Amino acid sequence: MLIVESLTKTFPLEDGNLCAVDGLTFRIGAGEVYGLLGPNGAGKTTTLRMILGLMVPDSGYAAIEGFRTDVDPIAVKSRLGFVSSSDGVYPWLTVREMLLYFADLYGVDPTLAKQRCQDIASLMGVSHLLDRRAGTLSTGQRQRVTLVRGLIHDPPVMLLDEPTRGLDIVGVQTIFEYIHRLRELGKGVVVCTHRLDEAERLCDRFGLLHRGQLVHEGSLEQLRAATGHRHLVDMFVEMIRS
Amino acid sequence: MAQQDIESMPPPSPQRRYTLARLFRLFQKELKETIRDRRTIMTLVLMPLLVYPILSMALNRFLLSSKSVAEGFTVAVGSDEEAMQLDRWLNDPRSAPPEAILRSSGENLAKFLVTVVKPRTAEQAVAENQVDIGLVIERIGSRTPVVKAIAFRGDGTSQAARRVFVERLHWLKLAEAQTVIRQALPGYPPPVIVQVEDVGEAKKGDMLATIVPLVLVLMTITGAVYPAIDLTAGERERGTMESVMASPVPRSLVLVAKYLAVVVVALFTALANLIGMFTTLWASGLLGMLTSDNTVPWMNLLRILGLLVLFSGFYSALLLCLTSFARSFKEAQAYLIPVMLLSLTPAMLSLMPGASLSGAMAVVPLVNIVLLARDLLAGSVDPLGALMAVTSTLAYAVAALTVATRLFGADAVTRTSEKSIASLFRRPKNPTSFPSPQASALMLAILVPVYFVVSNGLMRLLQSRGESISVNVQLLFNAGALIATFGLVPLLAAFLERNRLVSAFRLHRAPIACYVGAVLLGLGAWALAHEAFVIADAMGIGGLGEDQIRGAQQMIEKMRQSSPLLLLAVFALTPAVIEEWCFRGYLFSSLRQVLTPGRTIVATAVLFGLFHVLTGNALLIERFIPSTLMGLIIGWVAFRSGSVFPGMIVHLVHNGLLNLVMYYADRLNFLGQGFDDQTHLPPTWLAIAGTTAAIGALIVWFATRASVEAKLQLEPTG
Repeated sequence: MLIVESLTKTFPLEDGNLCAVDGLTFRIGAGEVYGLLGPNGAGKTTTLRMILGLMVPDSGYAAIEGFRTDVDPIAVKSRLGFVSSSDGVYPWLTVREMLLYFADLYGVDPTLAKQRCQDIASLMGVSHLLDRRAGTLSTGQRQRVTLVRGLIHDPPVMLLDEPTRGLDIVGVQTIFEYIHRLRELGKGVVVCTHRLDEAERLCDRFGLLHRGQLVHEGSLEQLRAATGHRHLVDMFVEMIRS
Repeated sequence: MAQQDIESMPPPSPQRRYTLARLFRLFQKELKETIRDRRTIMTLVLMPLLVYPILSMALNRFLLSSKSVAEGFTVAVGSDEEAMQLDRWLNDPRSAPPEAILRSSGENLAKFLVTVVKPRTAEQAVAENQVDIGLVIERIGSRTPVVKAIAFRGDGTSQAARRVFVERLHWLKLAEAQTVIRQALPGYPPPVIVQVEDVGEAKKGDMLATIVPLVLVLMTITGAVYPAIDLTAGERERGTMESVMASPVPRSLVLVAKYLAVVVVALFTALANLIGMFTTLWASGLLGMLTSDNTVPWMNLLRILGLLVLFSGFYSALLLCLTSFARSFKEAQAYLIPVMLLSLTPAMLSLMPGASLSGAMAVVPLVNIVLLARDLLAGSVDPLGALMAVTSTLAYAVAALTVATRLFGADAVTRTSEKSIASLFRRPKNPTSFPSPQASALMLAILVPVYFVVSNGLMRLLQSRGESISVNVQLLFNAGALIATFGLVPLLAAFLERNRLVSAFRLHRAPIACYVGAVLLGLGAWALAHEAFVIADAMGIGGLGEDQIRGAQQMIEKMRQSSPLLLLAVFALTPAVIEEWCFRGYLFSSLRQVLTPGRTIVATAVLFGLFHVLTGNALLIERFIPSTLMGLIIGWVAFRSGSVFPGMIVHLVHNGLLNLVMYYADRLNFLGQGFDDQTHLPPTWLAIAGTTAAIGALIVWFATRASVEAKLQLEPTG
């Protein structure tokens, strides 16, 4: 479903170059939740931004359903949903107006978008918020609305960047339910996080990223076998120390 | 919605990218977001409601004080005797100025309204600001009474009243003296006979007629600022920019929707201001100062509104250019404040006495709209000037919108502007081949003030000590100033960024044939530059005034005292090497990192042209077109050859030829054509020059054909 092939990105710094992502390759299938894990600065967000077309990679590409970022980035964008913890809302628009705006950005037919907006809001339990001004929502409500927004165009692949950052237990639980629902819907999901405990509970497969390189990849069982550690936290500590 | 329904939904169709309906929906969202914000409404409605009545009150106060002057100055005296003496003086026809002087001041003889303030003194009345002046007249009835005129220090009206009163007494004394002289010496001629005459056209509109459109334009700008920041930098600050840019919508569509919203808000502001201003003028009875019949000029108001539509179209695009680059409100405001202040400079130009909508003024942004609006109110519009103003503003709007489209969202996530100011002066550890666009922008920002100070400093030095400094030393100063600015500033910038000099200044070897072609281009190009100058002059863009021609002739005469070799070194060799080092060297290699070859050539040529306009403390607009044209030719050679050297040769030959022609102008009369800057060259000259330049260009093209094609294949995007 999503193929990431040899993605590389280097940033020029005052004292040389920083290779943020170094030949990263992985792929995920339908209904699979892939955890792209790593400490801060490992290259997770840069990877997502390259897949989303927000950054041009130095080399490599991402592909969805046969469309490649370096050939037809618009087709790739239209097949991706994106939710980030730093996502904001338009404070002066109602939730409905904001959702319809994003539907329009993704080229969803306006009539269909209205119905879809109602249905997904109902599915995610935010119907009562649709006519509220987004600026008046609480943090948790904003997060729910952002999750609905990511699905408004029914993308086959969802990218979630640190989705639980700054949320309380109820908020985190909402995210968990959301990801389970995405899995049920058959969507491929990439979750970038440094919350390893949460990742263990959520993801089917993992890619452990360190200094832009994929150090280990596989299911939890495969990683345990490869590293000799039971928990992701221990695997990471060893990876960073080595 | 059931799970199956979601799964069966067709994927969105990104093909429907540019429909008007979609643009309208996106525009609606932007407008709603802006209009619902109370800060917008504050600027939009409350400002005009508050500002104009206050301005009107201030203006009325000013007019009231002016009116009192027109009605007459008030004079205090301490006694009836003094009042009677004063009456005698003022009613004596000999105290009036002569006919010619009176006519030149509009036939208005100042009136004095005399009040006896007994038992108080005249001095007290002035000190209490109850009258304009006080008079104390002593020795009334004697042959020579003594009068003391008392005015209030710092009060313009009081000072004027005293000046006029003293003048009246002087006229009286003069008339008496003339009578005595005529009696004593009947044939004695007067020392001078004064005649006065008016020339030129009556000034169009008064200050208020210019201030009204100026205020409207400035208020329109104010209305556009907040939405421009909010819809671009605000988008980044809210954290919504990344999500928008991650969507498949074309950036230009989002930007155009935002642009339309900004224009609409600016227009609402303009409309609110127009209504607020004219309602206030009508209600306060000041409308008569703008229109002859004291009625609201509906048609002209509509035309002015149309002009404001045009202006807001341009200015909104300009604002979006800047705010699209900013990541936060704070950063956007930092960019906009200098632009707003810079906008005041052309605004002040429109207030200059005699400013008219013609020539360069018709194409200067903001000034042209203010002047056109002023002329509309006055009911006398020059159609050519109006056409130039409208067309140029439209062109600026399209250009600014194009740039904004490229900037908006281009770096939604990649900006790293948190570097401290110290980092600008910290050299990186590793050398780089080319100057970054940021470094070249900073270099230009430093170059402008350095150039201004150095060229003006040099001028002041030569003006103050010109006689004591020999012509040769003056010439060397000129060369030194050029090296200090266009030579050293880019070098310093390259040093700070640790650029490799060869690649940063494009000091590469070029094919030998390129140099041959460059010589021929230089020989032919001067004629093209000359024709461009003459055409620009005919179009009213710049052109030399008589003073400038006289100044240039004086300078040429002075230069003839020097050796032609020194002249060539200063006015041909030094500019050729130093200016090319800066423009086709440093700036070219920097801009080439982000622009296509064609755009790089145009950008460096325009910058080259602009720097030739900035000379000392004057703007020599007539130099822009020929210099830019030369910049285009040299830029093309620089691109084809991949080196700065052939361009230096074109520049050297061009400048050298012009200087030699000026130096030996008196010996070239046999050619049958003077070198008058304002006439076209003979067709045979043009044909020879054109052919020479074309052959030169062909040689350069052939010599670099293979290398350029290879280079373009390697760097297709620029």
